[in-house]
Amino acid sequence: MNENFKISPSEIDKIKLLNQKDKNFRLENLKLFNQQGFPTRNQEDWKFSDINQIFSKNFKNLESFKNGIKTKSINFIKEFDHNHILMVNGKLESSEFTFEDKNKIKIKSYTESNFSINNEENSLINLNNALSNNGLFLEVADNYRFEKVIIIYNVFTDDLKNNLLNNKNKIIIGKNSELHIIEYNINQSKNKFIYNTIENVILNEKASLKTINLQANQNDGFFYKYSKGKMKSNSNYSSFIFSSGPKFNKIDAEFDLEGDNCDCSIKSALFINKDKHQEIKTKINHLVPNCKSYQKIKSVVDAEGKGVYQGKIYVKDIAQKTNAYQLSKALLLSENSEFNSKPELEIYADDVKCSHGSTSGSVDENSIHYLMTRGLTKKQAVQLLVSGFLNEIIGDIKSNSVRKFIENKIGVQIHGY
Amino acid sequence: MLVIKNLKASINNREILKGLNLKINPGEVHAIMGPNGSGKSTLANVLSGKNGYKISGEVKYLGESLNDIPVEERAQKGIFLAFQYPLEIPGVNTNNFLKTSLNTIKKAKGEKEIDTIAFLELVKEKAKELGIDEKILSRQLNVGFSGGEKKKNEILQMKILDPNLIILDETDSGLDIDALKIISDGVNSSRSEKKSFLVITHYQRLLEYIKPDHVHVLSDGKIIKSGTSELALELEKKGYKKLN
Repeated sequence: MNENFKISPSEIDKIKLLNQKDKNFRLENLKLFNQQGFPTRNQEDWKFSDINQIFSKNFKNLESFKNGIKTKSINFIKEFDHNHILMVNGKLESSEFTFEDKNKIKIKSYTESNFSINNEENSLINLNNALSNNGLFLEVADNYRFEKVIIIYNVFTDDLKNNLLNNKNKIIIGKNSELHIIEYNINQSKNKFIYNTIENVILNEKASLKTINLQANQNDGFFYKYSKGKMKSNSNYSSFIFSSGPKFNKIDAEFDLEGDNCDCSIKSALFINKDKHQEIKTKINHLVPNCKSYQKIKSVVDAEGKGVYQGKIYVKDIAQKTNAYQLSKALLLSENSEFNSKPELEIYADDVKCSHGSTSGSVDENSIHYLMTRGLTKKQAVQLLVSGFLNEIIGDIKSNSVRKFIENKIGVQIHGY
Repeated sequence: MLVIKNLKASINNREILKGLNLKINPGEVHAIMGPNGSGKSTLANVLSGKNGYKISGEVKYLGESLNDIPVEERAQKGIFLAFQYPLEIPGVNTNNFLKTSLNTIKKAKGEKEIDTIAFLELVKEKAKELGIDEKILSRQLNVGFSGGEKKKNEILQMKILDPNLIILDETDSGLDIDALKIISDGVNSSRSEKKSFLVITHYQRLLEYIKPDHVHVLSDGKIIKSGTSELALELEKKGYKKLN
């Protein structure tokens, strides 16, 4: 591996350690990371996103980030009522649950190790396990439905420069409870940095979690998020990923459908311009009968941009009556744009309904001509077709005010390309 | 309004228009009839400025050569093509598209752009005039529209954009009598001294509703016969073959 990226065990002594078990866990993971380095294209999961090469090209060395900075003012969203959580460089700063029964919500800074997430094949997880000392812990009690959405303002400050941030979040939704979250990433840094985060989501029986992850400003951040979810029976998870702007962004979601009748949906709209690189990777594990899963990924790639979708649906032998659907569609705006897709089905049960599809192509010339005969310039016509293509995902957001907000944010990215 | 001299157009090395001449004065309605493959749609495409054709000859619109004028500028100058097969544009709201279109054209003309409220009033008024349910305008552009709805939408666009030269490319194809009536009423109510129409059609049927001043027969890339609306009736009786 790149020697410059090796991390000294003394870094672990700088973390406030809980106990010897914690320390050993971190040391063990650090050792694994130092042996492997960052993942390369030789690993199947990183086939189209050689992060080792990408980091080597963009960073000479990396420094772990120490907290203790001031945030520039944040423009809180005014378009609709919401609760909020403010995270600055991965650290919980404040929260406000104006609309809720506060007894039902447990929130704290998540500083301990999560021994349950361990993956020897993914060195970024090892790195995170070794060094993460910040994050968000959020637990919703049983039988509580949130009145309003929570916006997590995930702010990255200008203090970040060639830094490496490792964070862990954990979200637990109690039985028969419901929560909507918008994770709104605001990057104020003009510099390069790496944000490596692990999210652990637990949905208990009949719990429901709807999330929107939004990245919508041009920036030089490198983001990796591994999201591991566990779903109990009759639970419902729905996630929207809207990403445009970061230099690198890979969202890696793995969900275990452990209880029957659960429903797991992941939809994404990506707009990748300039030389940006984005990947969505999903792995849905159907472990019991009668569950539903759905992934729909739409990507627009312009200029030298690169987009990737890797999606795997695993159906265990006992998981009969599984209903799984996966679709990826990509629109390439330039000859130099690239999109790679790897759909995979691994099915061991015989009474299932699984389908997948993947298409990529350029913008339809006849459609451009049609719009141009109405006075639109070629650029306007393409922008309109691109918005239309991505609006099919955005249009699935039920709340009018949230949908308009997202449409507007993504629109600014498309019209500025 | 429009003067076409010795227009030749080829695509993929195949010549389709082989020296076409036509003159349309302001306020006139011209019909071009012809069998399949005679070059009717190519003429519409070439006038709209569509890419991919190799062109020689001259096309003058309001005294200015169109030869080097791109598609969108032709539209901004007031040329409108109603498509034979209007395209479905998923995810694009019809109203938003039309407002962008109208404002781009207004901007090019140096006129003030229209705001959303005034635009919606204009749409409402024009839709009512045409007897079109304005609800189709809040849907995605042409997506899931019936053949009739698509054609009505083209005529509504024509009404809103208010062009000078209107080319109707087989607008009557696939329409039932009621839709045909709505569309021809839309065209007839737009006729004025300042506007000219080029109606391209297979059948005489449309010309019972939209009365042309001149009828031309297009065959093998050339206009082989011109006359009054009587010519259309004659064609209907005898067929195209007899003319050759």
